Amino acid sequence: MSTASVRAAAIDAAERRGGWVPDIDARMAALQSPVRTVLEPAFEALAEADRVTLVPDAHYPFHPSSGMVTDPAVVGAIVARLERETDADVAVAGASDDRISFDRTARYLGYEGLLERFEASLADLADDSRTGDFCAIADESIALSVPNRLAEGTVVVVPSLRPTADGPVAGAMRTLDALVDCDAGPDRAPVAATRAVDPAVAVLDATTAYGGDPVAGNALFAGSAPAVDAVATTLLDRSLAADGALETARGDRGPISVAGDADFEALRARLPDGELPPADDTHPAVSTAYRVYAAVTGDAVPPQLEGDR
Amino acid sequence: MALPFLHRWTDSDALSLGLLGVGNIGMVHLKSAVAMPAVDVVAAADARPENRARARNDGVSRTYDDYEALLDAEALDAAVVALPPFLHADAVERAAEAGVDVFVEKPLARSTAEADRLLETAREAGIAVGVDHTLRYQPDMMGVKEAYDEGGVGHVPYASITRLNDHPLGRPPAGDAPPEWPMDPEAAGGGSLVELGVHCFDVLEWLFGDLEIKDASMGRTLETEAEDAATVLMNAPETGTTITLHCGTYQWEQLPEVNTRLRLEGVTGTISNREHLPTNFYAGAATSALSNVASRFTSDEPDVFGPTFYLQAHYDALADFCDAIREGERPPVDGEDGRRTLALAETAYELAAADAAADADDPDGLEAPEVSP
Repeated sequence: MSTASVRAAAIDAAERRGGWVPDIDARMAALQSPVRTVLEPAFEALAEADRVTLVPDAHYPFHPSSGMVTDPAVVGAIVARLERETDADVAVAGASDDRISFDRTARYLGYEGLLERFEASLADLADDSRTGDFCAIADESIALSVPNRLAEGTVVVVPSLRPTADGPVAGAMRTLDALVDCDAGPDRAPVAATRAVDPAVAVLDATTAYGGDPVAGNALFAGSAPAVDAVATTLLDRSLAADGALETARGDRGPISVAGDADFEALRARLPDGELPPADDTHPAVSTAYRVYAAVTGDAVPPQLEGDR
Repeated sequence: MALPFLHRWTDSDALSLGLLGVGNIGMVHLKSAVAMPAVDVVAAADARPENRARARNDGVSRTYDDYEALLDAEALDAAVVALPPFLHADAVERAAEAGVDVFVEKPLARSTAEADRLLETAREAGIAVGVDHTLRYQPDMMGVKEAYDEGGVGHVPYASITRLNDHPLGRPPAGDAPPEWPMDPEAAGGGSLVELGVHCFDVLEWLFGDLEIKDASMGRTLETEAEDAATVLMNAPETGTTITLHCGTYQWEQLPEVNTRLRLEGVTGTISNREHLPTNFYAGAATSALSNVASRFTSDEPDVFGPTFYLQAHYDALADFCDAIREGERPPVDGEDGRRTLALAETAYELAAADAAADADDPDGLEAPEVSP
């Protein structure tokens, strides 16, 4: 049993008004030193890479101040560090899905404008050719189809600190799983995707966290994907044992040490442990109440209150 | 006022109505019309198969994938135009050719120029144009107007209105694919100011008379082409009221809660729309349910969408339009009202653009000193 190490860095918010700074340049400036700190243990590997792909949580254009996506400023600060200190080709990647194209999400979130300041590019992995792979997890052989960019290059995954609709944290492993086709269930697919991609480091964006409400966390955490996900799970007050993927990934590994100037316990105490809003436009209780009311009175049910969003 | 409409009713006793577009708001109009006495919803058109299926489930017997095909095939008295704004003018033109009166979802058009062409086409064809500006139909807004008209707070030097929602991106978890057109100024005519602000302009003119736009500012919380926040400073000369309007599509919304706030600051106190709303949705729904159950025994018509005042307002607006068509009268909220809200929005955009240009030219806000030779 070994101890996994996670590096933590606080972001100086002493002079800040409100919980959010709209100016991305100001946010990136505040992130410069924390990014350097958390990337330090992984930097040797990153410095040797020909190509580095950053994978943020950019699943939908929710405003970054909500904590529901990775703050592009965190990604920008990492890109800046990589371009300053390495010769690697850097890209920021996501994937179009049946909901929204990655180009559109990236544009709304400001990635297009952000990356114009650098040599880095945007990559839609839905357009990428793929590599077939197999991954053995608990004696089960799992087939995967991995975008070549993730299979062949060096990857830095940058998850947000938020729950998924199902309850567990979104985390590094599930952020990667969203980009990998895999025939395993929810407890194994994120593990298989993470092992297939084998990210050099995971950087948890806790600058703003969402746990039912957004909270300015003002911190970054970096380490292996499972270790960072365990930190996220603990910060959002979820059970490590209840997250099947995390249990599978961590196995019998021991405790996680968090080192750095971010006050982990104080942050944990500040963060709410809530869920995402209900999926329906209307709270299910309201939809049910309305259906009963309409059945009694003969009134029409407005389409917005019918549920089944 | 009776209008010299060329086209009049079909032979049926009921008003024959077609729905051009049955997406989000079009389904509200459809459900309203189906529940309306003396209205026969004969057909609906929508490009999306799932919307046509929903319309059939709600009692529409004939659906079309193209609104022009519907207008060609059906004998209508009136049509609800609930298509994206870039189709409003074309749809009204087709309806005018068929001699069908129209109830157009807001914004009436994408610009005053387009609205002028639309209204001229309607005039030449002798069809009536109504516009779905619904805030003035909401009970909270009617309560504010009644209190204001009664002089309940004396002179009102200042008023403010705020309307916020999350259209079209929504809130977590990420849902259906968001449509592109509401965020494309070319398709929608603008951003949140034409999505929400035009409703506010309409209710403010209903309360205070003609408005003069003094200044405006547009904002974007995301890197979208269209603004998702707009703030407008106005004067109402007739009542001597300074007014601020803020509308935005950046705030997460969970129905039945809606963020619409109107405050009139008077000499002796404040009139707020919140005072004219049920404080609790369930209590309001229960009251409405009791009222509607009672109406079964008294043979009164139930309040359609009773517990949801903002959707009931859509029902009432369409019902008023249909009543006007039956009577051969001008719709109570007509095309000229819709055009006026667009003119106010255009002025606000122009002032905001001028301010932004001035800020870009002079970022420090310092004027260059005049230097004498």
